[in-house]
Amino acid sequence: MLTRLKGGHVVDPANGRDAAGDVFVEDGVVVEAPQAGREADETIDCTGLIVMAGAIDIHSHIAGGHVNTARLLLPEWHRAFSSRPGETALSRVGWTTEETGLRYAEMGFTTVVEPAMAPSSALHAHLELADTPIIDKATLVVLGNDDLLMSMIREGESAGAIADYVAWTVSASRALGVKCINAGGSAAFKENVRQFGFDDVVPDYGVSSRQIVKSLQTAVRDLGIPHPLHVHCNNLGVPGASSDSIAATIKAAEGDPLHLAHIQFYGYGTEGKRRFSSRGRELAELVNATSEITVDIGQVMFGQTVTISSDELRQFAGSKQASPKKSIIFDHEANGGGVVPMDYKRKSFYNALQWAIGLELFLLIEDPSRVFFTTDHPNGAPFTTYPDIFALLMDRGVRAKWLDALPKSVVKMTSLPEIEREYTLAEIATMTRAAPAKLLGTPDRGHLGAGAVADVAIYRPGEDKAAMFGKAAYVLKDGDLVVRDGTVVKHRYGRALTLRPEADKAMKTRLDRYFDDRYGLSSRWFEVPDGALGREDPFKVVPCRA
Amino acid sequence: METAWIDGKPASPEDALRAAGELLDAGRLPLVTGLRTDVVGLRAAFSLARQVGAVIDHGESASLYPFIAAMRDGGAFLASPAEMRRRADRVLIVGDAVGECDVALLKMLAATAPDLGVRTRGAGRRLMTLGSRAISLPGNAEVTHLDCASDAITDVVGMVRARLAGRRAGEGALSDAAIATVATFLSEAGFAAVVFAPTEFGELGAEQIFGLVRDLNETTRASTLPVLGHSDAMGAALLATWTSGFPLRVSYGRGPAEHDASLHASDRQLSGEGEADVVVFVDALAGAVSQVPVFATPAILIAADPAAPDAARVVFKVAAAGRDHDGVLYNARFGSFVAKPAETTSELPTAAAILDALADQQAGRGAEAA
Repeated sequence: MLTRLKGGHVVDPANGRDAAGDVFVEDGVVVEAPQAGREADETIDCTGLIVMAGAIDIHSHIAGGHVNTARLLLPEWHRAFSSRPGETALSRVGWTTEETGLRYAEMGFTTVVEPAMAPSSALHAHLELADTPIIDKATLVVLGNDDLLMSMIREGESAGAIADYVAWTVSASRALGVKCINAGGSAAFKENVRQFGFDDVVPDYGVSSRQIVKSLQTAVRDLGIPHPLHVHCNNLGVPGASSDSIAATIKAAEGDPLHLAHIQFYGYGTEGKRRFSSRGRELAELVNATSEITVDIGQVMFGQTVTISSDELRQFAGSKQASPKKSIIFDHEANGGGVVPMDYKRKSFYNALQWAIGLELFLLIEDPSRVFFTTDHPNGAPFTTYPDIFALLMDRGVRAKWLDALPKSVVKMTSLPEIEREYTLAEIATMTRAAPAKLLGTPDRGHLGAGAVADVAIYRPGEDKAAMFGKAAYVLKDGDLVVRDGTVVKHRYGRALTLRPEADKAMKTRLDRYFDDRYGLSSRWFEVPDGALGREDPFKVVPCRA
Repeated sequence: METAWIDGKPASPEDALRAAGELLDAGRLPLVTGLRTDVVGLRAAFSLARQVGAVIDHGESASLYPFIAAMRDGGAFLASPAEMRRRADRVLIVGDAVGECDVALLKMLAATAPDLGVRTRGAGRRLMTLGSRAISLPGNAEVTHLDCASDAITDVVGMVRARLAGRRAGEGALSDAAIATVATFLSEAGFAAVVFAPTEFGELGAEQIFGLVRDLNETTRASTLPVLGHSDAMGAALLATWTSGFPLRVSYGRGPAEHDASLHASDRQLSGEGEADVVVFVDALAGAVSQVPVFATPAILIAADPAAPDAARVVFKVAAAGRDHDGVLYNARFGSFVAKPAETTSELPTAAAILDALADQQAGRGAEAA
């Protein structure tokens, strides 16, 4: 069936479109305008509306053992738990797999990446993703605190051997890329180390965080994995040490691509009487000057949320500030992790400055194709706050109102009031569509050119940008109309995008023996078989680069 | 081969489905329970519960709730068995129930030694049991036993916490010297693992043990290995959590998922004292000991090995997940879900197929009625 999206303002920076026009969709993909004489079977009148590709979220914790533990830890936040649902903290959060898919779709998001899948939790993560409706999904598998990788580096094994191990892990876990979280830091914490920097050495292994990051960066590049190594740097949230760690990591990229996650949490200095200050401007300048670096922000917004991370060391430290006062810390193989509830308060100097630092970074990093739109859901804020963040980026009047409500001491410590930049629709489309597709190596999406999957988000423009992006007028997923007027009208399941790099057979044999001898586990348990998810055609394989 | 029965008499699957649907239609509040099935079966059970507005719970959720309640009220440090196998240099086994629930875990810990960590590797593993009887374990590990009645252990753990914090404690079941022995055993660990069965101590006791480990982490490293008894119940709780937001004991009776750990407990509802007036009971898992109750209300039994054709008003014989067909099951040793291939082939339908057919049928009837 040929569908014509007629007469909308098409914002498609990947194809240089930013004007009124039509988009045609047939059999789930975008097609060229038909030859004269062929009429569309269906027409959606988009006159006066904004037409973009479906949005892509590259870093949102939506599935897996830690996410599910957060649900377990916080039953009081569920909508159904309260007799007054509208007033329940986080009542708007997509807290179940079902709600996650629906809420994302209603905002025009059609692809979301779960960025922290432990190899041992891969099947669990994919089971949850298989139950998340509408959207396509992908995962990044976590390496960098695992005994085998650190042992291989210590023993001086070849880059090829390490790449084989990475290939097996990515392939078995059905991941789209590799994430490295506080490289060596969790392993050091198991040795009772309480602070760990980029050049600190993991006890017993004698390898530094730097060596781990560089080894993984090389393996990812050599395997042709399109998405660069996705790095959660050391010392997240620690004033001074955080900005030192991220600066050292940026310098260590050395010309090869590296993606740094939720950098807002690293923009902290030690100036001022509270020993907490913004280094947003300096960090933005460093990113601007280092072209091989891409970043996402991890914007903080005010209100109750929960932090979910495989940075066990950081989560243990953060558990002292848990609100409500309960947390779960995992000592699993490799990274472990933690779940710590957090209430970011507008009247808190620290939380308000965190909010301002995130916006400074969004607005001072010049190239919208190198800065990505995230709250590190739910760590900085739930993804349901995205519409408000779009409004903050696109309208300095909105920012001024928010700034007026902050403590005066905060306003003195941020350059945000002087920043006049307002994101254009084309820049928003670059940041949330074209650039993420390029970063993930998924050229079939993020744009509206012929051949792209027909994931389309259509918005009703207006002065209130939060209202515009909060409820899409229409959303098409693979050509199906799934959202109308901000409400899901068709239920369907998307697929998980995965890589399938080939590992050397000898590595498979070695890993069979390693997991059995050392942990008493079967290597087969780490694998996600095709038929395990109970959904038809659950995966879409993305090729590695030649 | 007969695969379905109505009132103890053989029936076609279609007739049995119809009879089951009539039972559900006649009830005001169905209960979907048992839930001994694989992930796909659990998913289907939740779909059916949503479709017919049922209460849903695992038949053995009582084995989980002391753990879940303590964890979500106060938090916890949780370890995986595999990491503790390589990491823990001291293991404290608290209570008697662990030796009954998961002796294989204790044998693994006794038979291996830490090989990771400067602080833990090399000195071997020391184990201490705190309970009313010593546990015989293989291997060369050094095992110390401190005799303590099970019902005194929660207080004893409190005394150990007081000792570690430098506070005075009153008299209890163990002497000051014994309390000091436990406190020193733990505080001098490079990495301590505390193994216990939450059902033995209840929510309060479990919270006390989680608190002890939290205290230890102020100065050293420690974590817990709670032993839960029914791994399939844990798998059901995890799926329930991502599906409904809650770890079982959920009702869809008023539309959205509502959680009440007392009201919607399967044991209460199955006793006949609850509100449920018709039961769907699923018992179709390889290796699980069948514990199908005598039903106090009309029931639909979906079982791999039904005890008798009249075990319920309507009975379906189905394939067992992980034995007769591939299935994804929770594995406590791994601490997550694993794919388990079938051991044999079977012509029988899966529990998920029956549950889905029932849900589809009821959805169709609902549409007709509308």
